[in-house]
Amino acid sequence: MADDARKKEILEKLRNGVIQYDEDACREGANAAVAEGLDANEAIFDGLVSGMEEVGRLFEAQEYFVPEILMCADALYAGLDILKPHCKQMDLGVKGSVVIGTVEGDVHDIGKNLVKMMFDVAGFHVYDLGRDVPLDKFVDEQLKTDSELVCLSAMMTTSMVGMPKVIEKIKAKNPDCMIMIGGAPTSKDLADKWGADGYAEDASNALKEAIKMVAFLKKLRDEKAAKQ
Amino acid sequence: MNADLLKQYLKREGATLVGIGDVSEALTSEIMHLNRGVAIAVNRNLNRETIAVLSRLQGLTVGWLSARGYRNLSIPPDSDRRKDKLITKLYKLFCHKTAATCSGLGWVGKNGLVINRQYGSRLSWATVLTNAPLAPDQPVRESECGDCDLCVRHCPSGAVNGHHWSIREPGRKIVAYEKCSALKDKRQSLEGKPNCGFCVTVCPYSRNGKVSGGTG
Repeated sequence: MADDARKKEILEKLRNGVIQYDEDACREGANAAVAEGLDANEAIFDGLVSGMEEVGRLFEAQEYFVPEILMCADALYAGLDILKPHCKQMDLGVKGSVVIGTVEGDVHDIGKNLVKMMFDVAGFHVYDLGRDVPLDKFVDEQLKTDSELVCLSAMMTTSMVGMPKVIEKIKAKNPDCMIMIGGAPTSKDLADKWGADGYAEDASNALKEAIKMVAFLKKLRDEKAAKQ
Repeated sequence: MNADLLKQYLKREGATLVGIGDVSEALTSEIMHLNRGVAIAVNRNLNRETIAVLSRLQGLTVGWLSARGYRNLSIPPDSDRRKDKLITKLYKLFCHKTAATCSGLGWVGKNGLVINRQYGSRLSWATVLTNAPLAPDQPVRESECGDCDLCVRHCPSGAVNGHHWSIREPGRKIVAYEKCSALKDKRQSLEGKPNCGFCVTVCPYSRNGKVSGGTG
């Protein structure tokens, strides 16, 4: 086990690797973490994700733009691929599966991919339907996989209008399933109006919302089971 | 900002041609801030490692620009084949032909490929988009194919229809790519080599001659 100074150094390398979109640095940091017996979950959250949080801040401050964000995400994945096999069961208290996709008529999937990445990081099982996904496919896939969570993404107002239809259909078949919407034209008001359980403007918000919702759902199910 | 330093540097390192284009009008919102395109071309005849050479030149360009504090985005020479990463999603927002024409290194020929006056279509391209205020070159605005229709007559798939390119009609479909790729698939399965290359080899510019009517 590496000492504290060395551990800090490795975490810093992972964090900076993400921020400076340096895939090689992330790989080196991840390999060092594995070789020297660092906890993989810690390396992911205090290293890679901590870097991604800073990237989010730089994006808000308009220091970074979309190309930088994507390159940072690629660097994060380079490290994550190495660390993932060494992960113990996530101790976030929740573990779930999620169906995610960009709705019919919309081919924009950059935001969706970033959200997907955050689910990957958190140890969710992700069923990624891709982009321009027919509305009924979401309903079918949710039933087939019994996922606790469905995430709908849209970048255009014209394709966003498909969302309430999906929400209605899924809720009719499986009222326990949680639904999140996200993307540039969506808002908290629209999510409320359409009966979606969550709304996320960006990737880091989506992750927080998702963990909160799955935890809530598990609690509901447990309570139900206790009553029976 | 004078671009000669960068151009000379890249040519010393093996670039056949380097041009700077003002590409503002071709950019979508994700990359709007990167309004200069550095077009880098390498003559495919020089060696077989064209893509490796271009990638290296691209890396040098990124280093040169970053050292001076500028942002950049590399569109690699084989951008259509890269699908393994998130950043590859942005590659299709910009095509090498735009950088090449905007930087005055050629026009889009009837064969749908960039044609340079000296090298024809024998060049492979890579692009680095940047926000460095490099002085842009004069764009090529119209096709210089003239009446030549050798590539139209020689295309075995009938994909080349003889349309003239112009910078004013960026969306115009010059070549029926579906016909071309159908033939490529067939050739791939029969001969293990997808490209027939007729549209490159018959072009008088590619053969380093001048267009002189129907002498081909």
